[in-house]
Amino acid sequence: MLHTRVEPGDKPIIYLKGDIDLDSAETFRWVVGDITRGVTEVIVDFAEVTFIDSSGTGLVVRMTLDLRSRGVKLRLRSISPPVADVFAMLKVRQLIGDEAFVDPPAGE
Amino acid sequence: MPGRSRKPHQTLLVLRYDPGSGKLRVVVGNRRARLPRAKLAELAAAALSDNAFVCHTATDDADLPGDQVCLIPRGDHCEVLSTYTDGRHRHYGDHRRGLVEILNDIAAAVARGGLHFLDDVQLAQTTNAGEEILACSIDDSGSLAGAREAVDMVLKRRRVQAQTRSRMILCVSEATTNILLHGGGTGTMSLRLLDDRLRAIVADRGPGLDFLDWTEAGAGHARASMGYGYKLILDNLDEVYLHTGTEGTTLILDHTI
Repeated sequence: MLHTRVEPGDKPIIYLKGDIDLDSAETFRWVVGDITRGVTEVIVDFAEVTFIDSSGTGLVVRMTLDLRSRGVKLRLRSISPPVADVFAMLKVRQLIGDEAFVDPPAGE
Repeated sequence: MPGRSRKPHQTLLVLRYDPGSGKLRVVVGNRRARLPRAKLAELAAAALSDNAFVCHTATDDADLPGDQVCLIPRGDHCEVLSTYTDGRHRHYGDHRRGLVEILNDIAAAVARGGLHFLDDVQLAQTTNAGEEILACSIDDSGSLAGAREAVDMVLKRRRVQAQTRSRMILCVSEATTNILLHGGGTGTMSLRLLDDRLRAIVADRGPGLDFLDWTEAGAGHARASMGYGYKLILDNLDEVYLHTGTEGTTLILDHTI
């Protein structure tokens, strides 16, 4: 189950809570698609994401790249440890670049 | 192109060479495919004799069954992996993994002993070993969270350490997701405890594994995993066993404890 909460503004923030998997990826995609209309930057907060798999990771990567090509920055912040582990295994920073992350890489 | 028609056109074909009988048998792929068996047996015998992992890139269509044939000595036999992409999605040019990368990873995993292809007899032996500690069915995407929670609960009760638990849960989730995306939509997941390892068995009755699905489904689809699910499984587990055919696919995931 994935819960989303949106803090509106010039740079809206999407707070995610729960699991991002095949079941919830569509919800995530819908929320991001809806909130990115008319803005140039959106922040996604992963602090309370307890699980992500390759379906969820694939979606995050693809949405970040798709939105970037349309001039919208999708920036990820407060990556929780389970998400950080999977992102590291799949080299997500290499795929979407440091600029997609609000926080610096771990250890810096 | 005259040579093309002789190819079996199978994305992945796995054969096993037995030096005792000098015969090759198909473990994954069409058992009735016309193959250059004498040629493959000769290559397999040479690889076994040299105890060397050998890869041949086929430049002549009539020469070998795929566009790459890997020979992997396994002690008393030699695995022969033939991969064939027909040039499709060798590289997408973006973040997604191409079919050839996926197939190369599979061959490398077999070569380093992390991935084993099972025949019917081996499948029965492997799925019956140890004590079953959990069994559940996978019917829809809503089952995924339930399966993860069940695995977590059982492993916590068994005092399995946190990192092993989280890796097993991730890999079980990837394998059960595979049932929903490529395995006909329903299947089962069970967990078994052996002396030195945890074993998850994920089975479906789908049409058999087709690696093209892993990449084709990715194009612009919300449910794509970039072809990385299998990578998470192979990178996080000690041994993975795969049996696949027209009656379904079984993936066996082992994590030593």
